[in-house]
Amino acid sequence: MRQSMTAVLERDTTFDTRFATEPYEVAWASEARWFVQHVGGDGTATYVTQVSPDGITWCDLDGAEHVVEPGKLVSWPAAGFGHWLRLRAKVEGSVQVRIHLAVKA
Amino acid sequence: MTTSDVRAALLSADPKLSKFSPLPRILAFDEFDSGTHGWTELLGNYNGRGDLSTVDDHMRDFRPPQLSACNFFDIGTHGALSGTYALKLATRPYKGHTAVAIRRLTMSGRGLVQLETYFAFKSEATLGGGSELDTFGDVQWDGNTHPSEAQFGAFTVATDLCGDGGLRYHTVARYQNTDMDNHFTRRWMAPTVPEPTPREHFEGKVKLEYAADFTAPNPEDWQPFGEPQELCYNEVPTKVNWHYLRWLVDTDKRRNVELQVNDRVMDMRDVPVPPYEERYETLENLLNFYFSVRTHSSVRNFLFLDSVLISVDW
Repeated sequence: MRQSMTAVLERDTTFDTRFATEPYEVAWASEARWFVQHVGGDGTATYVTQVSPDGITWCDLDGAEHVVEPGKLVSWPAAGFGHWLRLRAKVEGSVQVRIHLAVKA
Repeated sequence: MTTSDVRAALLSADPKLSKFSPLPRILAFDEFDSGTHGWTELLGNYNGRGDLSTVDDHMRDFRPPQLSACNFFDIGTHGALSGTYALKLATRPYKGHTAVAIRRLTMSGRGLVQLETYFAFKSEATLGGGSELDTFGDVQWDGNTHPSEAQFGAFTVATDLCGDGGLRYHTVARYQNTDMDNHFTRRWMAPTVPEPTPREHFEGKVKLEYAADFTAPNPEDWQPFGEPQELCYNEVPTKVNWHYLRWLVDTDKRRNVELQVNDRVMDMRDVPVPPYEERYETLENLLNFYFSVRTHSSVRNFLFLDSVLISVDW
């Protein structure tokens, strides 16, 4: 049976400026999918998947930007990542965010 | 040859188990090359509508544990003791923030309960900046001692136990590496009061802020036990040396018994185990274990667990 894990990287956290999620180690996983839900606030945020060689220094995985509007749940996969994943976000207005990272071996 | 001789021979011949000293019945043996084995993030309680804004501020952000290959900027993958992966607890880079992983069981008897683990503790590496970063707390970089060591706050191993009509109590052992001013203390401590609970907040008795010390928020409610102990941080933030920890408690007497950390065995029988005055429902035979790590600086702190073994004499 394949190993799997869901990590809640932000739990109804409110942001009104750009932010990045905490580093998360996924070396054991071959699949990853983000679920970003705006559970409150009237703002909009744009998310980009980032990867890192060490959990300290980061670059974008691809050019894809994912826009999440108030009350919406948006999901996208991440493929070809290394040992770490995080999201960076640009925020317009105020957003209350719930972020799940679902990973599988 | 007795049964106990056979058992001892089997344990000593098993390369996975021979590094442990289990009591007669093994409840859990967790090697983190095969998943998290039920060690999960602790979260405070919420209302009947799943409204997470009702979670206590100091219990809403204990961070999900990670399966870590102990990857570092300088040497790449360090790996664990038993394989590639360890369970990693990581704080935010926020003074006072705590990460907690909990494992939930229940008791089918009373008596001795023992938790063993191989652990390591590190602060996140700092990259860049000026020469002022060669000093932190009591440490000036001298080619041997490294400021990273003073950036590590504390780690804790604890239980949450309940039974016999809702009598709830915690046993707790904390290694405090530094105080909140980042000076080395390197001592073992335990609280003299029970942990504040969501029900006490619900009843208006206590309201703690984000990053409060959830185990016991008032530093004056902690007392040292045993003698100060220096552990093997090993100079820089990217060397991982595994330490042995064996902790014995007695759920029949509701007491601590002893704590072994490497070559040190500390008698804990006189360490207080304060029960809650009020009785708790829905927790009958509760047998929870948690590890936590708390940063006393603005640097992420990590607690790595290679493996955990929980055994009992019942």
